[in-house]
Amino acid sequence: MKPLNQKAERVQQAAAEGQMEEVRAMQTVTAGCATTFDPGWEVDPFGGLAALCQPMEADLYGCSDPCWWPAQVPDIMVNHPNWDEGAPNAAKDWRALGATYPTDAET
Amino acid sequence: MQLRPHGLTAALLISAAGAMPAMASEELLQNICSACHTAEKNGLSRISGQRKSPEGWMMTIVRMQQSHGLEISAGDRRAIVQHLADTQGLAPAEAAPFRYALEKDPNAQESFDEPFASMCARCHTGARGLLQNRTAEEWELHMDFHVGHFPTIEYQALGRDREWYKIARTEIAGYLAEQNPLETAAWTDWQAADKQPVAGDWVVMTDLPGIGEAYGKLTVTGDASPYQVSGTFMTADGNAHPVSGQMNLYTGYEWRANLDIGGTPYRQVLALSEDGNSLQGRQFDRSNDALGAPLSGVRDGTGSVILGTVPSAVPAGEAQVQVVGTGLDGLDASAGEAAANTYGAALSLASEGNGVVTFSAGGVEGQIAHYTSVDSLRVEPEFTIARVGGGSEDGPAAVPAYFNAVGMWNGPDGKAGTEDDVRIGRVEAQWTVANAHEHAAHMKDTEFAGEMQASGIFAPAVAGPNPDRPFSANNAGELTVQAEAMGQQAEAMLIVTVQRFIDPPIR
Repeated sequence: MKPLNQKAERVQQAAAEGQMEEVRAMQTVTAGCATTFDPGWEVDPFGGLAALCQPMEADLYGCSDPCWWPAQVPDIMVNHPNWDEGAPNAAKDWRALGATYPTDAET
Repeated sequence: MQLRPHGLTAALLISAAGAMPAMASEELLQNICSACHTAEKNGLSRISGQRKSPEGWMMTIVRMQQSHGLEISAGDRRAIVQHLADTQGLAPAEAAPFRYALEKDPNAQESFDEPFASMCARCHTGARGLLQNRTAEEWELHMDFHVGHFPTIEYQALGRDREWYKIARTEIAGYLAEQNPLETAAWTDWQAADKQPVAGDWVVMTDLPGIGEAYGKLTVTGDASPYQVSGTFMTADGNAHPVSGQMNLYTGYEWRANLDIGGTPYRQVLALSEDGNSLQGRQFDRSNDALGAPLSGVRDGTGSVILGTVPSAVPAGEAQVQVVGTGLDGLDASAGEAAANTYGAALSLASEGNGVVTFSAGGVEGQIAHYTSVDSLRVEPEFTIARVGGGSEDGPAAVPAYFNAVGMWNGPDGKAGTEDDVRIGRVEAQWTVANAHEHAAHMKDTEFAGEMQASGIFAPAVAGPNPDRPFSANNAGELTVQAEAMGQQAEAMLIVTVQRFIDPPIR
């Protein structure tokens, strides 16, 4: 079998080095993505970064579309339908993702 | 849905973005908001059942623009915020416990009881909810609004493990209606209170991150928002930083100023005391609100008041100290020569070793420490976050973190870390960062997450996936911030995390 992605390659490497005990399915490390997983936006459930999705752009829309972090990241489903305009692939087009609160709306 | 205010007048059309409103505030509110909000016994529907901070009202109107197609000029928007904050704002005592959110204090940490903590403060600050007062019906509608706007609220962590909506309607709405009702004695009293004029001269003390501890004088002129503000900030190195700008005063006490200080735009979020004689709050870099510091002020000529000293502590030897305050003629100091000046009194010191110089004038007292050694150091804040950013025209800028090293003496018990420790003040330190743990070391966080500057400011790295890191991870990192001074060391924890794309005035 030939690994198709970096993760699979790392698993194969771990097996070769006798380190399979260190390989964990993501849900045993953290609450991760989609409805059975929940990293926070800034930190993981342990107050650190180790269990966050990295890079966050790789899976950003999968989480932000359905307003997973409604106070931090614009959701496209209800409140900010045009946020991802011009950025179909967040990992490549992240530079087009802007902040949504208008800069001139100061008290 | 495109909403158009009925009764659109030529005057309204003239009112360009940023310009002054064209109509009296209540008329403006009626003209713009009654397109959707219906007239009821106490005022317009929804609006009349709520009281909020100026920022709270601004965020509501912005949401009307973003979600409901409201079209409004910046000038009219600010005028409506002024009107609503003045007539349906928060009393000083109501806003007081949550000012950290208005001040955008990056180091504030909240702690709330359940179920409020998980139901509300898991997404936004608890302050965001508690800086509002509503009728019982309005609090219930507020719960419904959350489900309507954020439908997955019931499926997220801490939502799906409970009957979120049921708890929101039966427990949270009632709790908030009791804690933060529309009608309170505090608000009734504040509405009836004589509001003090804000114009005049103010002696102020703060810290300009990256520049140094500062004191100054601000002169406020005008009789309504926007007031004009001018003056000078002085730093311990003797440099003068001219100040000019505008300030809006809401609800009779909420001071919001945009100022140019020595060429850098700053913002002030302050509260005027009920007697009109003092100011308290935070001043920060307008384009980077993490870079700021507390600011205190006193009305020039208000008896004798000492705000503090700049610098907050001095190495032993010859030193010039500014005792910041007002009414400090004849300042009596236990050492050195004092002379009153426009910012309080200047104190010339010639000290040896470790010690404290005390001073007093007009019945008020203060002190400053001089030192050649410290027994321990403290890094403040002990924990904070920074954010990667920049790298694009549209994305959020990086959010730095600002640290200070504070010198401590052990106090009478001779032990560090006990209650009798003496806080000396800020001391110069050498700054470094280290990987916080094994995983951070494995990810080489110190190499990627950003740089610690000599001023105690951590400048995070650029946003976006980094192909040079495993899995093209972001330049996030978990770092230990280390300060060293006079042979002592201290640490703080810094998490460098990802951007925040929604960053309203109340987070």
